[in-house]
Amino acid sequence: MTRPRLRLVGGVCAGFAEHTGVSLPTVRLVTVVLSFCGGFGALLYAWLWATIPSGGAMADPLPKSSLGRSRGFSFAGPHEAPVVATALSVDDDTTSRAATSSPRADADSARAAPVTEILLGLAVLAAGGALVASRLGADIPLAVVVPAIVVLAGTALAWRQFADIRSGAAQQSSALLVRILGALVLVAVGILLFFVTGTNPNAWTVIVAAASVLLGVAVVTAPWLLRLWSDLADERAARAREAERADIAAHLHDSVLQTLALIQQKAGPHSDAARLARAQERELREWLFTGTRGGSTEPATDLATALRRIAGEIEEDFAVHFEVVAVGAEVGVRSTASPESNPGSADAPESLVAAAREAMLNAARHAGGAVSVYLETGARGIELSVTDRGPGFRLDQIPEDRLGVRESILGRMHRAGGSASVRPGPGGAGTEILLTLPAAAYTDPGAGAVPVTPVTTTHPVPDTHHTETSVR
Amino acid sequence: MTIPEANGQGDSARAAAAPAPATAQPEASAGLRVLIVDDHSIFRSGLRAELDADLTVLGEAATVDAAIISVIDLQPRVVLLDVHLPGGRGGGGAEVIREAASRAPHTLFLALSVSDAADDVVSVIRAGARGYITKSASGAEVSDAARRVADGDAVFSPRLAGFVLDAFGAVAGETAETTEELDRLSARETEVMRLIARGYSYKEVASTLFIAAKTVETHVSAVLRKLQLSSRHELTAWALERKLL
Repeated sequence: MTRPRLRLVGGVCAGFAEHTGVSLPTVRLVTVVLSFCGGFGALLYAWLWATIPSGGAMADPLPKSSLGRSRGFSFAGPHEAPVVATALSVDDDTTSRAATSSPRADADSARAAPVTEILLGLAVLAAGGALVASRLGADIPLAVVVPAIVVLAGTALAWRQFADIRSGAAQQSSALLVRILGALVLVAVGILLFFVTGTNPNAWTVIVAAASVLLGVAVVTAPWLLRLWSDLADERAARAREAERADIAAHLHDSVLQTLALIQQKAGPHSDAARLARAQERELREWLFTGTRGGSTEPATDLATALRRIAGEIEEDFAVHFEVVAVGAEVGVRSTASPESNPGSADAPESLVAAAREAMLNAARHAGGAVSVYLETGARGIELSVTDRGPGFRLDQIPEDRLGVRESILGRMHRAGGSASVRPGPGGAGTEILLTLPAAAYTDPGAGAVPVTPVTTTHPVPDTHHTETSVR
Repeated sequence: MTIPEANGQGDSARAAAAPAPATAQPEASAGLRVLIVDDHSIFRSGLRAELDADLTVLGEAATVDAAIISVIDLQPRVVLLDVHLPGGRGGGGAEVIREAASRAPHTLFLALSVSDAADDVVSVIRAGARGYITKSASGAEVSDAARRVADGDAVFSPRLAGFVLDAFGAVAGETAETTEELDRLSARETEVMRLIARGYSYKEVASTLFIAAKTVETHVSAVLRKLQLSSRHELTAWALERKLL
């Protein structure tokens, strides 16, 4: 038997009704009737309220948030009675439905506010009623009524402040503390009034008064402290999970990465096993060092990351191993979807990334093996080279790729205001594709396509077969 | 920049003292004597099988303490040293170098790591390692690197070269005016590092810059010296901040 999260007073009737199958109004009626039988119903209610666990919150294994913004932890819900018409209808709902539906959650958080108003209202009502009664000549025990009003008001105010604290709504914690203390003092004074106004005080009255004050303050603060404690426990659990993750990361780093490196080494750079191992290694590294889990879905925000990601994608399809080395200041990637997202920063245009991708793809397709990708971002601009050790770039061997290189690399870089060159790699073997983008071409937001003459340099040595010589 | 070889002296005696190397390495000729230090036996045996025939594996060690003892006992020419090692005072590969280097004057260290973390690499280089390569390198590459280290050269992976360029502010245009300056690279050193970061071999760097291969090696060694001795704060701060090479 549990008390549902959405409740009228303490959720005891609803929980009892749900547990026994008796209809809720009947249970409530019986409770009310019993309450008038010497307060037995109220006592039973209070006892059940104290002993029956609140449903939902404990079954929820994940702390949704350490602060009590989420619906399950809204402060006043479990303790007081908002007499709202809509609340009556939601009260019958089961815990699971309440926990899953967000409109309900809104209703629940809306319920948090009236509690204090109700208490204050009760206080005012009592005060008014007492006044009227005394005017009518009735013998009103002012010694009881006045303190009761003060206690009610104090409790209401205190709870309101606690709710503010938990929801993080209040910024000035010191002011809040003062207000809470004030409310608590009000409660204490109210309780004391019971005794001060009493007749012939003696030592026992003082002791009882002191105990009552302590008890009263404890009752008012207990729920809040409980919440605070559970928040703390949640936070501790989260921290423990974080530590565990770090441990796992360290272990993976030492064992799994080693094994993956070994597999790549043994299997040779062109085998499927090496490719798989490499893909796994990259994923693991990304997870270990950046903390993103399967982070390849969100777009890369900086150029080096974008290049590494492209390298990873291409490595999955081709027998190639990219060594991406990025040097210099971090440069972002300006996405065409949301241009000028941050106008102050100098972002590389997406066309550079696209051209680099094409160059890398070209190297993977026609050379394979180890391919070096070097990115340098300096004051002069961006320099990106893709160097492979393949058979060299010969158009007669790969006629279908002519357009790819001319358009996707050279044309693209030209339009972006940069330049591209294709030349034999170091020592005359392989190919080196060099993409350069002067700083002016991407730092100035307006300069999308600067009319810069493309510096398509060709290597002086025997490379008549290189791409510049061919026209489509 | 070649350091005098310590070849031949007491070679056979030391080979006999090694735990179990001769059996696994039938062609135990008087080649380059190396020691493999790594805490993963599978990696050690894998590397041992992959290494070129002219490299004689004197032994293996799995912990910092065992590595220090082995280096001092066996006096290998090159130690293939993992950056992360258990034991000792927790200093890993750098601790091995610090403890053993003075008692094995002819031994050179080549750091081998699966880690990309710059602070790892920098710590082991600054402790005195003559080079750094990643564990994904093939056996032939490791052998080649070991030979180059034995010849007194420094071995830079493209990543290490990239890190050097970053750490010394070379990309931002900082250049050293004098050769004595430790905190910045000279213009030529920057060029060499840039090409190494692009994946060029020393020979390719030499032909691209129209200089002798020996000159390239001199430049690389000079950079290594700066990396080891420079007090440039980026070397430590950068590594801590970015965590990655």
